[in-house]
Amino acid sequence: MTSTPQVRKPRSGRPAAKGRVAQELAMIAPALILMSLFLILPFLLSFWTSMTNQPLVPRPTPVRFLGFGNYIRILSDDLFWTAMWNVTRFSFWILPVQCGLAFLTALLLHQKLPLQNLLRGLFFLPAITSMVVVCVIWGTLFQYPTGPFNQVLGWVSGGRLGPIDWLGDPEWAMFSLVMLSAWQAYGFQMVIYLAGLQGIPEELYDASRIDGASRWRRFWHVTMPGLRPTHVFVLLITTIQAFKLYTQVAILTQGGPSNSTETVVHYMVRSGFEEQKLGLASAVSVILFLIVLVIALTQRQLLRRFDV
Amino acid sequence: MEERKLMGKRLLATLALTTAGFAATAAMAEDTVVKVMHQGDPGWVEMYGKVAERFEAANPGVDIELVYAPHDAYNEKFSAAVMSKDLPDVFEMDAPFLANYVWSGYLAPIKPLIDPAVLEDMTASNIAQGTYPIDNELYGIGLTDSSVVLYGNRKYLEAIGARIPTSVDDAWTRAEFEDVLEKLSKVEGVKWPIDTFRGYGIKTEWITYAYEPILASFGCDLIDRTTWTSEGALDSQPCVDALTMMQDWAKKDWIVPMSAGTNQFFADGNPAALAWGGHWVYSQAAAAMGDNVVVLPLPKFGEKSASPNGTWIWGVSTASKHPDVAGKFISFLLQDADYRAYAVSQSAFPGLKSFAAQSPLYAEGGPMAIAFEQASKSAVARPPHPAYPTITSAFMQAFDVIINGGDAKTELTKAAQKIDEDIADNDGYPPFNGQ
Repeated sequence: MTSTPQVRKPRSGRPAAKGRVAQELAMIAPALILMSLFLILPFLLSFWTSMTNQPLVPRPTPVRFLGFGNYIRILSDDLFWTAMWNVTRFSFWILPVQCGLAFLTALLLHQKLPLQNLLRGLFFLPAITSMVVVCVIWGTLFQYPTGPFNQVLGWVSGGRLGPIDWLGDPEWAMFSLVMLSAWQAYGFQMVIYLAGLQGIPEELYDASRIDGASRWRRFWHVTMPGLRPTHVFVLLITTIQAFKLYTQVAILTQGGPSNSTETVVHYMVRSGFEEQKLGLASAVSVILFLIVLVIALTQRQLLRRFDV
Repeated sequence: MEERKLMGKRLLATLALTTAGFAATAAMAEDTVVKVMHQGDPGWVEMYGKVAERFEAANPGVDIELVYAPHDAYNEKFSAAVMSKDLPDVFEMDAPFLANYVWSGYLAPIKPLIDPAVLEDMTASNIAQGTYPIDNELYGIGLTDSSVVLYGNRKYLEAIGARIPTSVDDAWTRAEFEDVLEKLSKVEGVKWPIDTFRGYGIKTEWITYAYEPILASFGCDLIDRTTWTSEGALDSQPCVDALTMMQDWAKKDWIVPMSAGTNQFFADGNPAALAWGGHWVYSQAAAAMGDNVVVLPLPKFGEKSASPNGTWIWGVSTASKHPDVAGKFISFLLQDADYRAYAVSQSAFPGLKSFAAQSPLYAEGGPMAIAFEQASKSAVARPPHPAYPTITSAFMQAFDVIINGGDAKTELTKAAQKIDEDIADNDGYPPFNGQ
């Protein structure tokens, strides 16, 4: 508290402030220029494109301004709503699976275990493996009717269950993608949880121990409240990732069977590249941007509320 | 947008790598560089590399740059090349996409560029697949053509006492065929009566290529070829019946499911009794099963028989600065002895007359003679219209939903609307709309 006036002092001098603004501007300039060039400008361009019938490649017919024509077409397309429903379904499944897995492993790895660093590395391994590689490997594991998963399932159940057509049955395909995605990506959330756990001051545990709190009560009344912002952050980042689901679909199911794994991004690529409607695909990307924006704003609001 | 950038980047990376590789071996910077974009299985890719080397040796100062793009994403990669103004000189294309490329202005007429002896050598079907219907000019040429036949397992067919057709004229009728499937489903050792190669995936030209003849045999089409509208054609009752029939087979577990791979006909124990397969399956099937393979004509579901044709052919782009060298390369490739020998080993379907003479497989009395007979008697080309990318994409999507139990009429109506919408978006693709 006593140091506050000292901090204020240099700020009050005008020339110093001016020099600082110039300095600050110079320092953020590279980031600002790169972001405008590679993020903001392309976004504005794609917004403009989304208002036209721009084809992917030049065509002999003229490019026309359609206003919100593309948006109306997308919003009245059943397949787009199937895709929206699918990503919503995907995120509702993946949130508990992936975040739960990440949370449990983080709790485990936060204990003083032998070979702690090695274990942390091992658990993080899937996250640094390329999704493409993971998909190819899991594609083999999912094989029907004699793939490893089905053999294990048959053996465990004594032949009563399965074989399941993991990727070829509309009822199962999305669930299979959930398992694969959660396994590949939980490492990232695990690291965030570990950081969150390390951020809880040890004194709080000491104090509650002195008060005679059991292990269970310490978990509920110290660990959980201490992790609240982390929980919110992890849940929302996972939701955003879920809405952008594409790689797994492109490699393993191409949106099928029976559109059961069609996603918004896959729909966008399909319209843009297969059907060569760049304008329409741009409109999908703008819609996706708005969805992600809403999620991100919600995240900020919630984080702010919990931080205070 | 991100995906577009990504694709562009990937393509650029591929190009950069290829360029770097060739730059290292190129003798001089002033070499005539001819870029050749292609797809294909590893064996073919290796063959193109060898032919390019031989061509370079025979033509000092010419540098052939091979650019590989994967089969199922070929059109996307090609579009990316167009957008980055990096169009190759020579490129391989799937014949039904030719109309779209010519209409968009990427393909140059090829007749003046190709060795007249090679042009003379083309079969009627090869000429047809390379010709643009608006100006009747030749824009593409290939060594091969294609067909789909019905492969049968002799042992199983004898077990049920099925009649074995020997020519297109006495092909199984729908009733006979479904009776065979029904009986086969009960034969010991048969897990699935037929493999229709769903294992190629749901986003593959195979679906339109191999199943359109079923529509044609039922008496309908993807699109009306005079008015160029799909509503009234693809959603008509015969098409609905055709796909409902296939859905019914799938429901009865008669078809090898998508996830079970593409080798169930010739795999150990022969789980699939029949195979609705491309001519290219023959070499593998014969190697595994020997005399146990019978080649049958595709069944006749309605009034007439139908079979597919068309394959990957070569064209020269309008962006090429050396169209003469590009044409020379194509002529060289098509006459290359090694390339032809490899094609024979892959049971390639002849598109040049001299190559047919080299392919005893397809000759009169040869094991695949029926495929050749189909080409002249029942082949139906896919619609030569610039909307083809949307036509095939819409049909694939409808097929996937229907085969998994969706309502055929609803899905085909949606697909037909999507196709007509695309045509309207492009002002009817003039002059295809008669203007």
